[in-house]
Amino acid sequence: MKFTVKTLSGGARTGVLQLQNPGCCVSIETPCLMLSTRKALPHFLSPDLLSSLPSPDSRLLQFSPLHFAEGLSTQSINNIGGLHNMVGLPEYGLGAVLRDSIICLPESTSTNKNGASFETPFGRLSIKPVEYMKMISYMKPNWAVSLPDEVPAWVTEKRNKSSVDRTILWLDECIKSSKTDGLIFGAIVGGCNVEERRRCAHEVVKRDVSDKNKGE
Amino acid sequence: MALRFEILGRFNRARAAKLVLPHYVCQAPLFMPVGTQGTIKGLTTSQLEEIGCQIILGNTYHLALRPTSELIDELGGLHKFMNWPRALLTDSGGFQMVSLLHLADITEKGVTFQSPVDGKPMLLTPEESIEIQNRIGADIIMALDDVVRTTITGPRIEEAMYRTLRWIDRCIKAHKRPNEQNLFGIVQGGLDPVLSYAIGGLAGGESKDSFWRVVAQCTAALPEDKPRYVMGVGYPLDIVVCSALGADMYDSVYPTRTARFGTALIPEGVLKLKHHAMAEDTRPIDPSCACMVCKTYTRAYIHCFVTKDAMGSQLVSYHNLYYMMKVHFSVIFNTEANLSRDLHTSIIEGSFPEFVCNFLRKMFPKGDVPEWVCNAMEVAGIDISSCCDTKFHSALEFPHILGRDDFNQLIINQEAKFCRDHLFITRTQKDEKHS
Repeated sequence: MKFTVKTLSGGARTGVLQLQNPGCCVSIETPCLMLSTRKALPHFLSPDLLSSLPSPDSRLLQFSPLHFAEGLSTQSINNIGGLHNMVGLPEYGLGAVLRDSIICLPESTSTNKNGASFETPFGRLSIKPVEYMKMISYMKPNWAVSLPDEVPAWVTEKRNKSSVDRTILWLDECIKSSKTDGLIFGAIVGGCNVEERRRCAHEVVKRDVSDKNKGE
Repeated sequence: MALRFEILGRFNRARAAKLVLPHYVCQAPLFMPVGTQGTIKGLTTSQLEEIGCQIILGNTYHLALRPTSELIDELGGLHKFMNWPRALLTDSGGFQMVSLLHLADITEKGVTFQSPVDGKPMLLTPEESIEIQNRIGADIIMALDDVVRTTITGPRIEEAMYRTLRWIDRCIKAHKRPNEQNLFGIVQGGLDPVLSYAIGGLAGGESKDSFWRVVAQCTAALPEDKPRYVMGVGYPLDIVVCSALGADMYDSVYPTRTARFGTALIPEGVLKLKHHAMAEDTRPIDPSCACMVCKTYTRAYIHCFVTKDAMGSQLVSYHNLYYMMKVHFSVIFNTEANLSRDLHTSIIEGSFPEFVCNFLRKMFPKGDVPEWVCNAMEVAGIDISSCCDTKFHSALEFPHILGRDDFNQLIINQEAKFCRDHLFITRTQKDEKHS
């Protein structure tokens, strides 16, 4: 995937995102709205209906790997040839982010130094960076956001700081264990503390990560 | 006349026909999916067109409740309201009243019931049923019949039969759009041997053995040149048998309802996608199916959706309806490799017995075709001995079927007139309630 900035206006910019999927190349203008999905398909829109939406603007889909925690093993997904083949959308961009803001939500009180915890329809799940990247290697999305330690705005300063430390550490582990050609978006946390946000952003930039994802 | 029926081909009792309706020219035998509230759950009308649906059924009871027939009329009729360019059929509303509302009562005036909205007593008369259906605007509308709910015998069955006839006359009189909407009459009767001359009302709860015999009796007795609609039949096997016996039209919630429970229809029978074995199965639902779902998805992927997310219902409903249409259909779809699989086409091409045998072989690979199917095919004059393993079958019975002459001798004058003047349907075993 390639991203180019086209025009700037103050802090705003337009750009072009180029998806380089096997056998096809799609250019999408940014700013762009990604469609949220359930198990990698938009709610209620099967591919024949999805194709009636404006294209290529509707070609970016965001999914949570946690939707597949039960009922379908990542090995099966691999056997089918990865997520694009499995959902029948080879010419679409698929991006992984663990939290979907609807049914998979970070549970910071259960998160520990080893991995992040999420409330999911299958109960509370804990994911380590290595496990996450293994899922990604089977699913083969176009990009994946690294594993963040997301905390709510009302935590203590100490907890907020440790969330930044952990997020950076886990980013390193994600980069190290990444086996795919897909890009990693570095997650940026820090709550409402501007200094912590800045610190996190600087550390992520140092890792020469493809792009920066701003967490909540 | 709002309907023209032309037989294009036959095999013994089975017919392939053209049914010309105001909104669409249909090919029979045909299956009609049920779009209870002006929609087939989980599918858009453009998908239904792609799948090959010809006629969709709407439930008058539900539509009259929401959004009301007056609003539908104001907005240009149900076709426009639901954006469906092909044909529609509405039922009379009577069945839902009796099956859904336990306080419903039937008198000579009509069906009295408690309004589900505010509990007030209400009355659905034959006249009002037709008025509502006139407003909805379907190509085919149904007369209100005196629905007998369970398999009971004796005077109630006879009462239902005669009352239905009186109500048909009231429906005909009340019908304001005879050139645009075709009125079908429902004939009630039952299994009581005293009333065996009455045309086949099947009240529900009968065995398959009784079911096919009544369908056979009805088709033997009914006029050749009019369509025969057997209500509530949705199992593919039942449809093949009834078509062999001379029926033309079917409806059921079965394919879409069973889809919502994660069950797919395949030539071998059914596939329960909810089963944990499906989680690792990377084949399509049906490798021989050309539908969007089978061309795109694996059983494993659909397994993770079924009964949990709406997409599961949508995908399996799409496949199930495609399967139902394909089994019945149509020269339009002759891109399929094996034309003779289609009921309509195989009857026209003269390969109907081969179609039936292929169908049964796939569904019963061990040769254990049910006895009732063997008996029915015997009467239909279709040789299925190549599909049946003799170890499963004892000597077949040859039931006595009333011929047309027997029928005419036994029937009373009113009924004879009715039979000759109107279109017939038989209400059959309700395996599931309409929702």
